[in-house]
Amino acid sequence: MSPLATGVTHLYRSLRPWLGVLGARRGRLWLGAALMLATLVSALGLLSLSGWFITATAVAALSLPVFFDVFAPGSGVRAFAVARTASRYLERLYNHDTVLRLLADLRGGVFARLVRLDARTLSRARAAQWLNRLTADIDTLDNLYLRLLAPPLVALAAILGFALFAMLFLPVAGWLLLVLLVPLWLVLTVGCAAWGWRASHRRVDRQEALRVRAVEQVEGLAELTAYGALETHLGHWRSEEQGLLDDQRLLGKRTAAANALTTLVIQLAAVGVLALGLAALSSAALSGAQMVMLTLGTLAVAEGLGGLPMAFTQLGATQRAAERLNAQTALTPERAGMTLQGGGAAPSLVYRDVGLCQGGRWVLRGVDLVLAPGQQIAVIGASGSGKSTLAQLAVRAFDPDIGDLRFDDHEIAELAPESLRARIGYLTQRSELFHDTLAANLRMGDPAASDAQLWAVLEQVDLREWAEALPQGLATWVGEQGRQLSGGQARRVALARVMLRNSPLVILDEPLSGLDAQTAQVVKKALSHWLAGRTALLLAHEPAALPACDSCWRLVPGAQGAALQPMS
Amino acid sequence: MSRASRSGSSSRPRNPSRAWLEAQATAIRPWHRRALGCGLLAALATLVQLGGLAWIVAQAMIAGQGIAELWPALLVVGLALTLRAVAQWGQEVSGQACGLAVKRAVRAQLLAKLHALGPVRLASRHSAGLASQLVDQVESLEGYYARFRPQVMLALAVPLLYLAVVLWLNWLAAVWLLIAAPLIPLFMALIGMGAQRLNEAQFRAVTRLSGHFLDRVRGITTLQLFGLGERATAEVSDVAHDYRRRSMRTLRVAFLSSAVLEFFAAVSVAVVAIYIGLGLLGYIDYGPAGELDLFSGLFILLLAPEFFQPLRTLSQHYHDRASALGAAEGLMALLDEPVPESDSAAAPTPSAPVTAAVELEAVELSHVGRQRVLGPLSLRVETGEVVALVGPSGSGKSSLLQLIAGFVAADRGRVAVAPGAAIAWLDQRPLIIQGTLAENLRLVAPTASDTALHEALEEAGLGDWLRAAAYGLETPLGERGVGLSGGEGQRLALARIFLSPARLVLLDEPTAALDPETERVVVAALQRLAASGRTLLVATHHPALMAMADRVLALDDGRLITAPGTPWQEASNS
Repeated sequence: MSPLATGVTHLYRSLRPWLGVLGARRGRLWLGAALMLATLVSALGLLSLSGWFITATAVAALSLPVFFDVFAPGSGVRAFAVARTASRYLERLYNHDTVLRLLADLRGGVFARLVRLDARTLSRARAAQWLNRLTADIDTLDNLYLRLLAPPLVALAAILGFALFAMLFLPVAGWLLLVLLVPLWLVLTVGCAAWGWRASHRRVDRQEALRVRAVEQVEGLAELTAYGALETHLGHWRSEEQGLLDDQRLLGKRTAAANALTTLVIQLAAVGVLALGLAALSSAALSGAQMVMLTLGTLAVAEGLGGLPMAFTQLGATQRAAERLNAQTALTPERAGMTLQGGGAAPSLVYRDVGLCQGGRWVLRGVDLVLAPGQQIAVIGASGSGKSTLAQLAVRAFDPDIGDLRFDDHEIAELAPESLRARIGYLTQRSELFHDTLAANLRMGDPAASDAQLWAVLEQVDLREWAEALPQGLATWVGEQGRQLSGGQARRVALARVMLRNSPLVILDEPLSGLDAQTAQVVKKALSHWLAGRTALLLAHEPAALPACDSCWRLVPGAQGAALQPMS
Repeated sequence: MSRASRSGSSSRPRNPSRAWLEAQATAIRPWHRRALGCGLLAALATLVQLGGLAWIVAQAMIAGQGIAELWPALLVVGLALTLRAVAQWGQEVSGQACGLAVKRAVRAQLLAKLHALGPVRLASRHSAGLASQLVDQVESLEGYYARFRPQVMLALAVPLLYLAVVLWLNWLAAVWLLIAAPLIPLFMALIGMGAQRLNEAQFRAVTRLSGHFLDRVRGITTLQLFGLGERATAEVSDVAHDYRRRSMRTLRVAFLSSAVLEFFAAVSVAVVAIYIGLGLLGYIDYGPAGELDLFSGLFILLLAPEFFQPLRTLSQHYHDRASALGAAEGLMALLDEPVPESDSAAAPTPSAPVTAAVELEAVELSHVGRQRVLGPLSLRVETGEVVALVGPSGSGKSSLLQLIAGFVAADRGRVAVAPGAAIAWLDQRPLIIQGTLAENLRLVAPTASDTALHEALEEAGLGDWLRAAAYGLETPLGERGVGLSGGEGQRLALARIFLSPARLVLLDEPTAALDPETERVVVAALQRLAASGRTLLVATHHPALMAMADRVLALDDGRLITAPGTPWQEASNS
């Protein structure tokens, strides 16, 4: 019992946040369940009443001239028939709409949480696979209400209701139904969940592993093809695929077995009710029509149980998906703060005795740096020395562990990140372009920019000629992560985007990386001109990779974290 | 194979997706037949069971028999329903075997296609999108083969079987059933056609939806920096709601089709019930109504819902068909993507004996939808030579290396590479697979000994890293393992070169994204590589790499500039 108990706790803990999301639409959910119940009751009614009607008429025909009212039961049969169709149509439509609404809520909610994550958390989860998993996991959760919550409740209500109904006519038949169908219901829900738990839980991860292999195949195809290593890698692919297929086969077999069990138990229950009815018939405790009504009604209960085995053998997958979403969207405390007021004059930026500890290791220690308004300062350091960390502190991607940073006369740790970032143009080390047009990527810097402005900024980064030669010009799609562009082109598009932003404080992290010497010279010149009058923090691995600066510092690694030293 | 069978079935060009789905089914015929057999067996068992039930009731009511006389019949009913349950199990399991087999076969086809297309043509595609085609879209084929396809036959055969029985019992009752029956496929067809179009549109919407979502999540840092977080959240929500509206349009139609079916089924059952009731009462004089007795009446009533059940099941599985058709469209688009004929010739096997390591003769290359990227260009690289390629970005350095590696075929001219083992390749995005360090290395030399792995890592400057790693060669790498920094990833790729038997090494800007320390290590390692007698072609801006080259070739606008690349060297040193 204890593994079951821990399993249930586990399940509840993973699903709780998502049940909360469902709770927000409680009214819709109850109405949806009521429609489901109405459908099932109509089915029960249709079959039971028809059985009663036919037997009763046969008996009436045998017992010679009596008046038999055919109209009331006849119209009852018709009413149930129409009600079943109508309620089923409405139920399906209404519930699917609910589920899709929930899905949109989930996506929006998850994204809103991700947007608030800080840089440290995000850097742990950058890979494309992680993102794919995210969407797949959200999709898996759509099972929750439509398959796992409402149907078992409705089925149980139908079983109990019909058993009570049967007790009115023949108590022992009611008890038989309870004794057979309640355990069946338990087997189809709890039993199937336990039976499929391991394999379905694992299936989610295996499907993910297969996706990872597929991404490897695509992204590493150059290396794999050249080396003739495709076959070796396919071996890895095949073993993942085999694992996935094995799990699916296992789950399929178990679902099929549970379906067969449903048929068997329901039909046996019907035969049992019939046998009891026959016994009662001879003692005249029950009429023949009632006997047939109960037998056929029992058969109709199966309709409410049909979907349960499939849904519950996959419960482990739902739980796994929920678990991973919980882990990946765990909230980091929101860093609120005051909003900056005033105009866009070049600000000062000051680091005072700044220290930052990451994973138990000091990355920066005792960093003092003053950028006066309009001053351009270079910081030189090897990659991994903490240059980018300096920049991330300035945009409040995270706060320092000791010391403070000041933006004009405000402490950065007290400013709202959005308000601060609105004043800063920051070119990150990686050029993050979006799967969109060249123009749309540039306009992220300034949504209101005219085409003429876009062309002007492209001119500055020496891309105008290239862009003009493109058949679709500014409307050219840049491809996933800007892959349709060469590394140097993507870099310059990212730079142009920052320039469009026209902010008083600029941080450029390796602005010229990936550019050939000639282009680098052209861009350097344009940058020098553009930077005049702005406060700028420029980061690179060597001074030659930057435009001219007012002063130059080197970030020197030390056992206690990197520190700044002036360069001649 | 699939290509041949597809063109073979082009006599029905109306729906190529359906023809493609049919073509995939040839290999699963035995399992498909087994599923059909089990379905028919279940139908026969149902017949016995229901007949038995009706007979028992009739005997009890009319002949006044009790349980003492009727227990053998009850036993028969029990056996029949057990058989029914077992056959139902068999149908489900055999159907699933069909689905699993097709998925595996289609995935193999897709992978083969990706390999045929090669890295250059795939560069413009969403790798996550392709992965989801390979995994998720293929998943959505299963239901079609596992459930829908067997049910198509059963939905025809089983109702006919029941109809024959009803016809024998009472032909007028059969007529009542038949009145509704022909309307059903008609309605299904009308509604199904609309549903399919909508479903295809919806499939595209799903792809767009996940592509949009992934792209925005990937660039989340940038969205934060540009203060676009809220706008992007609103966008994600809008796109999801748009998806909901599209889906509901599809679903309304899909559900309507099954509602129509259910309505006819229910009305038909009701009409039969009333007909039987009135017939038993003797209110109907016409035809065989007078012959009805409790046994035949009850039996017919029990068969009436079963008559419609296979069709109802079919309509429940209709979305399996629709999503398979939608997936088929996407998969076919990928499978039908043209691979230029000449690509097979691009494989690095020479048409004439080659004495040099690489020989290019008047080669020209252009990418689809763009201007010429390379050529005309001739080049001869001797075995053991080290050649540096320099030039502005976009000048065709990468394209030249891709051409030599055989990823693309030249439009004109001749490419010849000395025969021998594989080619070693290194660019700025080294491949790190999910698995251990050893698995990552053995990709290029499956039989290499641990000692060889250690040596290669040492040569690539990862010796210290290896000694510090707790699990040594068994250290897990990739997503779930230890993260490698960019520089370490690059050195791992270098270790692969040392390990591989390849004599020709192609390097595409191997030091572009490295810090000076790693750069030094990589340059030193490349010098050792060159000293080991391998042929190196390296596209680079790096002075140290140019310095170690025997020859520096300058490329501009896809052509070789004959003068050696001294200007570039000076520029880089400034």
